[in-house]
Amino acid sequence: MASFGWKRKVGERVSKVAVQKFEAAADRQDGAEKEDEVDWLHAIKRRREVLLEDCAAKSKRLKEEGAALALEGRHWEAIKRWDEAIQLTPDNYLLYEMKSQVLTILQEVFPAVQAAEMAVKLHPLWWEGWQTLGRAQLSLGEVDLAVRTFQVAVHLWPSERPLWLEDLAWARKLQQQRRSAQEQLRREEEAQQEVLNAPELQQDYDFESDEVVAACAAVAERQRHYEELKSRAVVVDAEGHAREVPLEEGAGDSPSSSTDHLVKARGL
Amino acid sequence: MTTQYSILFKQEHAHDDAIWTAAWGRSERDGMETIVTGSLDDMVKVWKWSDEKLELQWTLEGHQLGIVSVDVSPNGAIAASSSLDAHIRLWDLESGKQIKFMDAGPVDAWTVAFSPDSKYIATGSHLGKVNIFGVESGKKEHSLDTRGKFILSIAYSPDGKYLASGAIDGIINIFDIATGKLLHTLEGHAMPIRSLTFSPDSQLLVTASDDGYIKIYDVQHANLAGTLSGHASWVLNVAFSPDDTHFVSSSSDKSVKVWDVSSRACVNTFFDHQDQVWSVKYNGTGSKIVSVGDDRAIHIYDCPM
Repeated sequence: MASFGWKRKVGERVSKVAVQKFEAAADRQDGAEKEDEVDWLHAIKRRREVLLEDCAAKSKRLKEEGAALALEGRHWEAIKRWDEAIQLTPDNYLLYEMKSQVLTILQEVFPAVQAAEMAVKLHPLWWEGWQTLGRAQLSLGEVDLAVRTFQVAVHLWPSERPLWLEDLAWARKLQQQRRSAQEQLRREEEAQQEVLNAPELQQDYDFESDEVVAACAAVAERQRHYEELKSRAVVVDAEGHAREVPLEEGAGDSPSSSTDHLVKARGL
Repeated sequence: MTTQYSILFKQEHAHDDAIWTAAWGRSERDGMETIVTGSLDDMVKVWKWSDEKLELQWTLEGHQLGIVSVDVSPNGAIAASSSLDAHIRLWDLESGKQIKFMDAGPVDAWTVAFSPDSKYIATGSHLGKVNIFGVESGKKEHSLDTRGKFILSIAYSPDGKYLASGAIDGIINIFDIATGKLLHTLEGHAMPIRSLTFSPDSQLLVTASDDGYIKIYDVQHANLAGTLSGHASWVLNVAFSPDDTHFVSSSSDKSVKVWDVSSRACVNTFFDHQDQVWSVKYNGTGSKIVSVGDDRAIHIYDCPM
């Protein structure tokens, strides 16, 4: 804005006193316009303030853009927006939490856990951050950690029923399932040990035919027991009861397929 | 006898995870001082306090999820614990054995509190009911209905007349125990009330909320007698001193504050925990305070008498 001042109109015919009066009045009027002039003395300071304001506003805009993109299923673009927003406002826990959710959808499980960890570090009293962290940990297969994380969330906000019924209950089921699977593995290993170190073979015997036949029969029996154990898998049904079923081809990775289901069940 | 507040003892790494709750009991039989703690590591631990130090007496196993609340019966013989899966267990403090197991049903138990005669345990439920279990029977014997939201906190008045409950929506209810009638409903806070405590003369009720404020109520007339600010975050726990003139509060701002009731002023702040302080209690005489928190530590403080 072009500044207007009385100074330019000052001529010889105007008395000095009058000029001074006019100048004083003009200064007062100019006060409002000064905002637009360059204030060299405080220039640097002011720029920083403006920058901070800019950062918050820009970050908010990027956050909203990212959310809209995520809703459309354009997940990577959403993450790019939020990463930019994080550069501008690194303390905004919401950005990390949203990023974690989308990373989990994209099966970028490790970065998802990292982002959610950042969110709960910045705001440890916010139960939703813990819920997101727990879900990311489940996707990573860290069932025990997830059970702990969901407990922290429930403790902060116990009235949130889905947190109980979906997240914590589900994580505990997976925990049970994994324990059953580990138990099965342990039994298999034990059986294998018996096959390899058959007690009959350790005794010194004189190769009499009936003894050899008996030893072979015993070893064969253990081998059969081992094979039988190997051909079973532990399956946990919806109520969380573990049971053993005969193993079919390609059904070996039940834990990972169930975590897939989790992501779908959440409708993300 | 001390003349000022000071930290007396620290038990670092008392549990394998965050400690959410603590209680201080004194045995009527032999005068033994006992501290009970409950943690996210699913364990309840019983500590003996003697010669100005803690000694682990029992590690009580059985709960399958984090321990939300513990209490010691006023006669000092029994401890009660509740876990996130709403299982309540009663333990004999002398032998360390489980006496009773109660399943309150999904999310139907949070804070547990013994009645002054040590015969009952009260706990809140998610539907706004206060369930009262018999210690002897191990069964639900009464139920009081607030018709409100999830009840986070429960307290009996020491004279056995009243029972107060604090809900997640900030509503406080005071019941007459003899008649089971709801006497007062106070809209004290707009945010969850995680703890409340009666004064030893049963005249005052102090409430702690996520809004960062502590409020003092006159129980008989249900008047607000004072609002105290000082904590920078959620107030997680409050406990009245047996001397009837002080109470203590703990907060997620990592501090423990001692307040004077008559002046409504904070007389001391302990900044010794590294993380949020979930629970704080006085001993039977009011000479000591115990606090526990997310940093897995148990702290004991000395109080001037």
